[in-house]
This record gives sequence, C-alpha cells and structure tokens, in this order.
Amino acid sequence: MIKIDHLSKSFGNLEVLKDITVEIKAGEVISIIGPSGTGKSTFLRCINLLDRPSGGSIRIDGVDILDPKADVPKVRQKMNMVFQSFNLFSHLSVMDNLTLGPIKLLGMSKEDAGSKAVDLLKLVGLAEKAESYPDELSGGQKQRVAIARCMAMDPKIILFDEPTSALDPTMVSEVLSVIRRLAKAGMTMAIVTHEMDFARDVSNRVLYMDDGIIYEEGTPEQIFVHPQKEKTKTFINRVRSFTYHIASPDYDLYAMNAEIETFCDKQILAVKQRYNLLLIVEEMLQIYNPFLSKALLDINLAYSEKKESLEVVFESTGEAMNVLDKNLLSDELGLTLIQSVTESIDYQRLNNKNRVSLILKKQ
Amino acid sequence: MPIQTSKETTALIVTITGRMDALTAPEYEKKFSELIAEGEISFIVDFEQVDYISSAGLRVLLATAKRVKAVNGKLLLANITGVVKDVFEISGFCTLFPTHDSVASALSASLG
Repeated sequence: MIKIDHLSKSFGNLEVLKDITVEIKAGEVISIIGPSGTGKSTFLRCINLLDRPSGGSIRIDGVDILDPKADVPKVRQKMNMVFQSFNLFSHLSVMDNLTLGPIKLLGMSKEDAGSKAVDLLKLVGLAEKAESYPDELSGGQKQRVAIARCMAMDPKIILFDEPTSALDPTMVSEVLSVIRRLAKAGMTMAIVTHEMDFARDVSNRVLYMDDGIIYEEGTPEQIFVHPQKEKTKTFINRVRSFTYHIASPDYDLYAMNAEIETFCDKQILAVKQRYNLLLIVEEMLQIYNPFLSKALLDINLAYSEKKESLEVVFESTGEAMNVLDKNLLSDELGLTLIQSVTESIDYQRLNNKNRVSLILKKQ
Repeated sequence: MPIQTSKETTALIVTITGRMDALTAPEYEKKFSELIAEGEISFIVDFEQVDYISSAGLRVLLATAKRVKAVNGKLLLANITGVVKDVFEISGFCTLFPTHDSVASALSASLG
C-alpha cells in the first residue's frame, strides 16, 4: 500500500532522517517507537508531505507522491493525520469540524456528510457533543473528535503523531480505546507513540527508530520481549547507563568511584548493591591492571528499571582474551569476590573487543 | 594514612579508618612491615571504622599474618561488621583469621 525507499530529510545541516526503507501493507497497524528527537514525527510528516523529503521515494498504491506532478491534496485525502495537539478548528462546532472536509474536498452533500459525522461521533462515543465547540471539550474528547474527523475523509491510512502525549493521564485510555477499536475494524494505521503497553497490544509490527533510521523492526513480541540490538534493548528495558573510559594504568580510582556513586544515587540503589558494584569494578580493574598500559577499557554500568537489574560491562581492546580465565590469574581471591556478588558472568569476543558482562545479584 | 596505634601489654591495637582498597593497601602493608621491623609481633586490628575492603585489603592482612607468624606473633581482628563482614565471609577469611566482636575480647584472647 505504501512503499518507502531510502527516505531522507534534512533541515539545513541537520540530517533528521537518514535512510528509511519500509513498506506498510493494507490492514497493518504499525507502531513507531524510539527516543525523543530520533525523527519519528518527521517520518510521519514526510509520508503525509507536511515536510518535503530531501531524498528517496514514497509510493502509494504504485504512485510516486514525490513526483512534482503528484496531486498533494489528493494524496493527503488518502492518509489523514491525527496530531498531538488535536488541531481542530476552534471556531467551528464538532459537527462542522467533521463535515467541512467531506463537503469541500470530497464533494459530499451536507446531509450525507452530517449523517456520516453522526455515525463517526457514535463510534468515538461523542454523539451528544455534535453541537459543542472544541473549547467546551476535554483534551481526550478533542482528540476523539480529531480521530472522527480523520475518519470522515475515508482515509486509507491514519497517521497518528503521539496522539496521547498532550493529554492528562486520566484521558489517555479513552483515546487509546478508540484507536484500538479502529485497529479491530481493520483500519491501516501508523502510530508514533510513547505508550509502550499500547504499542505492544495494538500493533502487528513495531518499528524502533533511533538516530534517523529504522534501527530494528519486528513483531511486538520480537521488539518488546526479544529485542536483538543494543539500543533497542536499552530503550525497551528503560535502561539508564553510564560509561567510564580508562586509557592508562594511572586512572583515578576515587574520581571514578565518585561518578559511580553519583550514578547509584540517581538510580536510588541500595547501599549493599552500590558496595558490591564498587567492589566488582575495583576487583575487575585489579585484574585488568597488567593490560591497561596497552589496552583501552570502557566500563559501562546499565541499570534496567524494568528488570531492576544492574549490569556492568567491561569492554577492552587488544588480543582475544578472557581476563577472568583462572589460568591467567595470579590468585583467585578477586574472582571469588566477583563471583559471590554476581548472578552471571559472560565473556564474548565482539567487534575485535573483549567484552565481559556481569549482572549483579539482586538484593 | 588513617591508621592509629595504641600499645597494650599483650598487643598493639591498630585502628584503621575508611577504605582498605587498591590505593590504600600498599600504605597499610608498609605500615605493618615497619611495625614488625620495630619489634611488634602481636596485633589487634580494629575494623570498627572500616567501611570498605577489597581483595587488595585482604591481601595486606594475609601478608601481615604471614610475617607475624614467622616471628611467632599474633594477628587478631576485631569489630568486623556489615558489608565488610560479608567480604570476609565470601572470601573465607573469617575462617583464616581469629575474629572478635570487640577489641576487649581480642585482648583477652591475646593473653592466651
């Protein structure tokens, strides 16, 4: 239905979308998730031509909509958009908001448009608000009207740009339930959202966007339960991390400890857990010490709020070697301490680096 | 270095404060060596104010214990509690060293 190839978009020197290739099929519900500022909304706005793409192609039912001869208003009729901030006409009643487009753009009669508007208002549970004005409605009601107004144009796809992020938490569910209803009815939708549980329930496919690309995509199960790539895992597990770089054996242990303690404060870690974390880092550094004159070492601490787990990853340059190999250790005292406070220790050779990952025992 | 000593009849009480880690361990080791060289052979190390110990700290105790043993002396540990005690237990050092709940109890033991 929509085929997007190598889509890019820059604002001046800022490259927001780098290279997006994706296909949206009829009947699909696609959630687009990812950190703020990674181009999700720009992506939707490019599809709808609210922002003109800098490169690539967008084909809808085989027609290249970036062709200068393309009829943009006609294209927009095929795919309507629901915005974060509702964008209703405040000087028009709910009924007029819903009938304006069908009458002016689709050439519908006032009666037909009115009768369709009533049906749509029933669908979003607001039939009794037909004569109200936007200012008389709550945020959740305004967004439901905006969705009904979209539907009034008989779009082939609805693009939702964070439809609940401007709403009070109490009003989020009424809007989400309307979108769920549309999904059940087979409406094709692309939804930029920060509501992860909703994205998981409602979508057939999830696109995880990061840094201007679709970094990982898959079924909700693949993305939310078994994400494969590092950044997706970090985002899904709401991981907060901190990295410390060591480039010489003369590193400042206390300065590093102070930064680790600050990280622990932010995550509100228990005293015992921060003690164990400092112990692991010191013991590992003692083990790494003979190699620090010729290797670079990165220590990454990652706390997953969702799993309540704390992971420490030591990544070092140099030849392939597991520093925790007992045959390489002068004694096992440090290793014993490390093992006693961790629930798992994993070594991998990855991208020409030695990677030792330790997950701390829960307290 | 946060280390204080006080001489009792049967032993020298060594009070350590703060951390026994990779950075402080060499200083502690040096201090114990000096005390042994000065003729001290029996020590009671008071851990009440120690809030962190790593394997580097444990190694100092091990090395000192060996030196003390070589001169027929004693190394007794007192007031090991909390997270520091956990490290002693995990590493098996609780069984290697006689530990006491208080300096007084360690002093009584040093008489024997």
